[in-house]
Amino acid sequence: MSVILLVEPDVMLAQTYCKALQSAGHETHHATTAQAAIDAADEHTPDIIILELQLSAHNGVEFLYELRSYAEWQLTPVIIQSYTAPAALAAVAGTLTANLGVVAVLYKPRTSLQKLLSTVQEHAKGAA
Amino acid sequence: MIEGLQVQRDASPETMRLLCSVAEQLKVPLTVIARQAELMSMDRRVGVVSYQGDVGKVMASISTQTDMALRLVDSYLLGLQLLDKQGALALEPVSVAATLTDTAHELHGLARQYGVALEVQVAGKYAPVMANARGLHAALLSLGYGLIEARAASAANDAVRRLSLAVHRTPYGIVAGLYGEFGALAPADWRRALQWYGRAPQAIPSLAAGSSAGLFIADALFSAMATAIRVGRFNKQTGLAATFQPSRQLQLV
Repeated sequence: MSVILLVEPDVMLAQTYCKALQSAGHETHHATTAQAAIDAADEHTPDIIILELQLSAHNGVEFLYELRSYAEWQLTPVIIQSYTAPAALAAVAGTLTANLGVVAVLYKPRTSLQKLLSTVQEHAKGAA
Repeated sequence: MIEGLQVQRDASPETMRLLCSVAEQLKVPLTVIARQAELMSMDRRVGVVSYQGDVGKVMASISTQTDMALRLVDSYLLGLQLLDKQGALALEPVSVAATLTDTAHELHGLARQYGVALEVQVAGKYAPVMANARGLHAALLSLGYGLIEARAASAANDAVRRLSLAVHRTPYGIVAGLYGEFGALAPADWRRALQWYGRAPQAIPSLAAGSSAGLFIADALFSAMATAIRVGRFNKQTGLAATFQPSRQLQLV
C-alpha cells in the first residue's frame, strides 16, 4: 500500500482515479491546484505523486520545481498523467526525468485505469 | 472524403482555431466517461471493492458529461453557422433574466457534480434586450460550462465553490454574465486568451486548466449579437459578462 497524491484539476476524474487506486489498496489524497498539492504533500507525505501538467494558476512544471526544492521530497517518484500530448513533451523529456524525477509520462486520454494502476505498482514503495 | 476536404479548404482560420479548442475541450468529458465506465467494469470483474451503491451516481455523471459535451458541440455548430453567414445573428427583444434562469436550470446538474453552487442574481426588473434568443441561451450555456470547470479546478479543496449567474444595469447597458471568486482574472488575461485559444493547450491559465473552448464559443456567439465578452465585477466577484442594449421596440408596444 502506498500513499498517493493525485494532482488533478477535474474533480470528476479525480474521484474516479481515487476510487480505482483505493480499490488497489492505496491511500489517496487529491489536490486541484499546485499550491493545494504542496500543502497536501506537506500534510500527507506521499510515496508517489500523479500529476497533471495543465493546472490553473501555477502549472505542473512549476509545482515540480517547487516540490524538488525541499530536501524531503527530492526522491518522491512523480508520474505525469496529462492531456499534454507526449510529442509536446519530447523536447523536455530529459529535464523531466533527469532533473525533476519524473518516472513515467502518460497521455491521459489513452491511459486506462489498469495502465495507471500498473504504473503506480511499478514505482510503488518496495517494488522490485 | 471530398466533402471533408471541401470543409477543410473553406474553413477560416478563426473556425479552425475554434475547432482545435473544441477538440481539446472534448477530451475532458470523453476521458471522464471512458474512465468511469472502465471503473464500473473493473468493479464487476475484479470485485475487490464494491461500488454497486455508486452505480446510479456514476451513470448520472456519465449522462451529464455526455449531455454537456453534446451541448458544447451544438453551440460550436451554431457558432460555425454564424461565422459562415458573415458572423451576424438576427436581433430581437429577449428577456435576459429569463434566459439566465433557464440556463442556470440546465447547468445545475453539471455544477452539482463539480461541487459548484450556482446562484441566480436578478435584482429588479429589466426590459428586454436586443439579442438573439437561441444565440444568447447557447452563449450563456457555453460560458457556464467553461466557468464551472474553471471554478472547480481553481478552488482550494475545502473551499465553497460559488458561481453567480447575474444580470445588472450599468450606464452602458444591461450586463449579463457569470461571476465567482476568480481573483486572479484580469482584463489583460482575457485579451491574451483571445489571441491564444486554439493555438495553446491552455488559453487562459490564470483561470482554467484546459482549453476553455466554452468561453470562446460563447464569445463567438456574443460577437454575432453585436456584443463581446469582457472581464467584469459584480458584488465583489470577478467574472465574464457581455453588455446588451435595452430594446426600445417593445417599449412602444
